[in-house]
Amino acid sequence: MTVSTAGPVPWRRSGGARAWLPITRYLGARAGQAVIALLGVTTAVFFALRLSGDPAQLLAPQNATQQQIDQIRQQLGLSVPVWRQYLNYLGDLLHGNLGYSYVQHEPALTLLTQRLPYTVNLTLAALALTIVLGVGAGMIMALTRGGWGERLLMPLVLAGQAMPAFWTGILLILVFSVTFHVLPSSGDNTATSLIMPAVTLASLSAATVARVTRGAVLEQLSRDYIRTARSKGAGTWRLIWRHLLRNVSVPVLTVLALETANLLGGSVVTEMIFAWPGVGQLTIQSVNDRDFPVVQAIVILAATIYIVINLITDIIYGFIDPRIAVTSTEAG
Amino acid sequence: MRAHLRFCVAALATTALAGGLAACSTSGTPGSSASGGGSGSAAGPTLTVDLSSYPASLDPGLQYDTESYSVYRNIFDQLLHRDPATEQVVPWLATSWKQQNATTWTFTIRKGVKFSDGEPLTAADAAFSIERILDPKFASQQQANFSAIASAAGSGNTLTITTKFPSPTLLSYLTTLSVVPEAYVKKVGNAAFNLHPVGSGPYEFVSSTPGSEVTVKRNPQYWGPKPQIASVDCRAVTDIATRAADLQSGQAQLADSMTPDNVAQLKSASLQALSTPTERVSYLAFNTIHGGPTDNAKVRQAISEAINYSALDDDLEKGYASPVNSVLTPLNIGYPKSLPNYKYDPAQAKQMIKQAGAAGQTVIMATSPTYSATIVQAIQADIQAVGLNVKIQSTDQATYLQKVQSPSHNWGSIRFGQWSCSCLDADGVAYPLFHTGTIWSSYSNPAFDQLVEKARETLAPATRDSLYAQAYGILAKDVPGIGLFQIDAIYGASTKLQWKPDAQQDFFVADMKLSS
Repeated sequence: MTVSTAGPVPWRRSGGARAWLPITRYLGARAGQAVIALLGVTTAVFFALRLSGDPAQLLAPQNATQQQIDQIRQQLGLSVPVWRQYLNYLGDLLHGNLGYSYVQHEPALTLLTQRLPYTVNLTLAALALTIVLGVGAGMIMALTRGGWGERLLMPLVLAGQAMPAFWTGILLILVFSVTFHVLPSSGDNTATSLIMPAVTLASLSAATVARVTRGAVLEQLSRDYIRTARSKGAGTWRLIWRHLLRNVSVPVLTVLALETANLLGGSVVTEMIFAWPGVGQLTIQSVNDRDFPVVQAIVILAATIYIVINLITDIIYGFIDPRIAVTSTEAG
Repeated sequence: MRAHLRFCVAALATTALAGGLAACSTSGTPGSSASGGGSGSAAGPTLTVDLSSYPASLDPGLQYDTESYSVYRNIFDQLLHRDPATEQVVPWLATSWKQQNATTWTFTIRKGVKFSDGEPLTAADAAFSIERILDPKFASQQQANFSAIASAAGSGNTLTITTKFPSPTLLSYLTTLSVVPEAYVKKVGNAAFNLHPVGSGPYEFVSSTPGSEVTVKRNPQYWGPKPQIASVDCRAVTDIATRAADLQSGQAQLADSMTPDNVAQLKSASLQALSTPTERVSYLAFNTIHGGPTDNAKVRQAISEAINYSALDDDLEKGYASPVNSVLTPLNIGYPKSLPNYKYDPAQAKQMIKQAGAAGQTVIMATSPTYSATIVQAIQADIQAVGLNVKIQSTDQATYLQKVQSPSHNWGSIRFGQWSCSCLDADGVAYPLFHTGTIWSSYSNPAFDQLVEKARETLAPATRDSLYAQAYGILAKDVPGIGLFQIDAIYGASTKLQWKPDAQQDFFVADMKLSS
């Protein structure tokens, strides 16, 4: 989708009810694309995994014989040709069966749903921090350009962007757990457990969002409509809520959608550091163990989330700036 | 300027408002299920343990990785134990045993032992525990450990085990056998049993948060002495720096899988490092079949003299390692005491490489990130110093295994590894590593094969010792592998914890004491 809007968005909503018809058609097309994307991802992961090592060798004890390893392979259903395994897998998938973990002796779906709330929790908390800190800092930097606000915040933003999660996390643990004993260093046992993982996860995204927001606000501030609004005596609040926020929200939303995906991915490292029992930890463990069914289930979930986030973003574009939805349906 | 300032205040206010919203969404922690239990029975301290991963199974019939052991062996009783001081097999659930003939053993099962669901533990439960591991449909990862057993049967308090051949390691492996309740397992099924294990051990299962935490509490019906620690939270903390931080911040009192590098850090934070030599040996194995330069025994001999063993033990392992004279540890039965330790003679090694015509040739060293990179690099430097060119190929564990276990033997020349059979016997090391045609062996010598085959089916300890002395004598000449050092297990702990870890890495919480 191309965003080709010159000039500010007019305040009154154009289109009305008529705008919904192209949107439903558009959604149908998007759903079709999503299914194809999911199938592609599933297939790629299925075959890539099977090229990457043999779970039976990892599962077998050190003193196992070749026959015992073959036996394990047979029990896991890995001794039949790969295309056969693939067909079996797709068949199971259509029945909603994601397979059974080789290592943990539980259905992959159960393992995933046990871990998902933790990751969703962490990601939402980090997303909230990203929006608040990122958009807030970005606006302050733009509005105090060259002044104290920018001078104070820019180094923080640069630091946030430069520090990798594994370093930020350990640093936070050293300061807040080891030195001051105010926050738990790992796990999810108390209400405060979420704070450090969320801050760690959000630091990079917040920095990115802050920079994009700053750029977007600066661009808008030089526009005529702002000057007009000001000259008409619009108050600061009115200027931010009515005019500025709406117009900077399209680029900010784009980067937020991308960052949400990054947050989900970044949670792998953060969850490792803070022993957060989410999907990220499960991912590392299952990849190391070559626990194929679990890895496949995680990938399907991740792909679905990406697709859904993109879809939601596109829909929100339509609400913020109806010209976008109309433009895109006209284009394709 | 004024306008800008006002903008700024507004933006700050916006931030604060949204901050309030964010605080609402971050404060709750849905999804955190039952944990922090263990307040059920009588008073006593709670121990929090950081394990390097979540136990792969709580059903003791399935997995036997260190972390699973550390948790489920406290919930279940084992058929036999080892005396931590002497390493001798001693009674536990079996109060006595007798060998009826070369392949038949009978065990008398302790009376009055109850599972925590109140059902009595019988010889039939012990037999069932063995049979289910042997059942191919159950797909137990421990099947190979018990594969010498032909059948197990229980009647009353007598357990009868028949082996396929006279098996000298049977008792060794039976120290790793946890006894499960047949009736309960059959009633709830294997999957439910793995999620909610019921055993007869000193602790009983309370709750688990999969991937994160298992909580156990003292079993009030336990037949043995009452443990001092009332409940245990076993947490999975993958990151080693976080495990150290948990100890320092007091969130955990015990952490496993620490490295020699952590010890100074722990000690400076007034914590203690508990360590014990284990039967785990760090080793190099050569490809003698398609290894290029290492097909030549002279080159392998030269490499064995090129390695600065004491530097590995003292500088890299910081003293948490002991020298060995073969790919085995002195804890294992069959350790060839009469062999001299490896010697470090780089000048002679260089000479031998030259004589073998291998000077300047490239050898590929296979390893994986599972093993210490600094050790591998130190060995690389040592071998390069005597005239060979060493290329390290580090692949993840799955790929490493696929490569080195390939029957085509085209994985390179040298591989680095660590070995432990959890059996304290040479049979679990020499046979799988060097016998012709095993998955690990890229070496073949019929004389050696015969000796280890015979030792595998000989019961008399003295005869076995002499068979292994001969077998390891052949390995010392052929050098299909080099024992680098015996590895110490290191735990980090609060100074309030009293515990002496043992060579088997038995993680029996009942043996620990925690002062407040």
